[in-house]
Amino acid sequence: MGLENPFVPYLATLKSAVDLTPDVKLLGVELENSAEKASFDYKPGQFALLSAFGEGEAPFGIVSLSRHGDGLEFAVRRIGTVTNALHELELGDVLGVRGPFGNYFPLEDYVGKNMVIIGGGIGMAPLRPVINQILEQRDNYQDLLIINGARTPQDLVFAPEFKTWMEAPRTKLELTVDRGDEHWGERVALVPDVVKEVAPSPDNAIAITCGPPIMIHYTLIVLKELGFKDNQIVTTLEAKMKCGLGKCARCNVGDKYVCQDGPVFTLEQISQFLEQP
Amino acid sequence: MNLFISRDELIRWLDQLLRERILAAPVQVQGLTLFQPISKVEEVTLDFGNTTLSPKEWFLPPTETLFSMQGNDGHPQLVPSTIEKDAVIFGLRPCDAKGIALMDGPFLREPGDALYQERRARTSLIGLSCRQVQPECFCTSVGSAPNDSSHVDILLTEIENGYIVQVITEKGKALLPEGLTESKEELPAPPELQAVPTKEVTQAVREFFDNPYWEQLADRCLHCNICAYVCPTCYCFDVRDYPNKGNPERVRSWDSCQSTGFTRIAGGYDPRAAKGARLRQRFSHKLLYFPEEFQDIACVGCGRCVKSCPVNIDIREVMSDLQQLEAKSGS
Repeated sequence: MGLENPFVPYLATLKSAVDLTPDVKLLGVELENSAEKASFDYKPGQFALLSAFGEGEAPFGIVSLSRHGDGLEFAVRRIGTVTNALHELELGDVLGVRGPFGNYFPLEDYVGKNMVIIGGGIGMAPLRPVINQILEQRDNYQDLLIINGARTPQDLVFAPEFKTWMEAPRTKLELTVDRGDEHWGERVALVPDVVKEVAPSPDNAIAITCGPPIMIHYTLIVLKELGFKDNQIVTTLEAKMKCGLGKCARCNVGDKYVCQDGPVFTLEQISQFLEQP
Repeated sequence: MNLFISRDELIRWLDQLLRERILAAPVQVQGLTLFQPISKVEEVTLDFGNTTLSPKEWFLPPTETLFSMQGNDGHPQLVPSTIEKDAVIFGLRPCDAKGIALMDGPFLREPGDALYQERRARTSLIGLSCRQVQPECFCTSVGSAPNDSSHVDILLTEIENGYIVQVITEKGKALLPEGLTESKEELPAPPELQAVPTKEVTQAVREFFDNPYWEQLADRCLHCNICAYVCPTCYCFDVRDYPNKGNPERVRSWDSCQSTGFTRIAGGYDPRAAKGARLRQRFSHKLLYFPEEFQDIACVGCGRCVKSCPVNIDIREVMSDLQQLEAKSGS
């Protein structure tokens, strides 16, 4: 017998599927094997590869908080072959899980700081466990500012949780969309412009951002204008991945492998990459 | 102490080996020379400069099933592929043996790649040193040699009436036939090769990463990927599911960083869409990232990419050009 094949996923069952937006589902997943389930621990920012058997495998940030395998959740945007198949699964159907992989947001290093979370579209997925962990350990952190943008009000991925976030102590939620509708009473503006307008102070602060590449690009410019240093800005990189094991060489950016060295990097680290992501 | 084996003894030995295990050896197939499992010793050709493809395909096949998904009741059983038999690769060149040793870096590090690791453990390598070299060869410039015995279990060197046998490892010793006598002849001097400058190349790639050189070089590149497929150290791969009569398989296959869309993410953004950036990735991985991780450049000097490239992109020239860029900027 050879060694265990790291390409073979854990078998899991689809426990819940909730439409978050017209094209994003929140999938609740439970590993079948109780030992595998009990040891499936992870931190905010880590990801797993989900298999739709017969269709393929793709990486997704884990959006839940680790509870020894209980309540494992993924926010999956329908955008390609694998995500399409994952959206088609019915409750009780079997899927595959490999992971958890990658590094994580070092939230314990941010204790005592003001936290600025800036997310766009499905980029909110890896930020949700960050927000929820801060809220669980609310006294450990100073002010929490969340700036969340989307294309339309219907595309705000974690809308069902906005009330909880808003009502948490010393927490502010700023929402914005590219195109509003008749019910929309919040901002209609691009995320970087909202960051500029809200102008969070860089004093004793950490900014974490994730979203479409173009949003991240302009958000970083604004954060720097506001006085945030490169080591105060943290992001999570999206990269095409196949193996998650540092072998297939697809997520190679400069001398880094996003699947092993990332996906979480400070801007200070990224600015030292030879190749810009 | 080196041993001697006559041609007749070699034939009998190979015949014995192929009864006990898989024996992959150079075979002529439609004008190509490829490593293939053989069933008769007569299939083997020893009349080759180097094989068309390197023996990397033995350890990382062009296409292989990682596991299959069996059962039609909506609850698949995942059945991982396994390696059934021990094997010997006979007749590989020292450069290609070094290529395998370099691939060990990414594939054997934790978590080990199960199929690669199993094949590697169960395969013995009988190398054949080069008494002649090809115009495209430059192994001595990248840390190997026509008679390099570092990465094989046994190395054979052809002499007038047979072969000198150097037993390098215990694994090799276990393969030896009975009754070989000590070689009366000394090992012949290896052939001389062209020298390609490589000393400063890693530093040069770093320094000239943003140089317009890459875009100019890539202008003529067709991104046909042949360089990656023939390379003994290129290992980028793809993983996909394929239906197989209701029992789908997860399949790994060779890929290349030169492919369009290799790095394109869901939603369409491609961080490495430009031709120059893709060609630069090939050389940066080989000459800069790989040495940073595994302490050696990922080129063994076999020259296959030089010989195969339809637009004459020549890694020897690239390495030389980069170091000259450095010289210019330094003056």
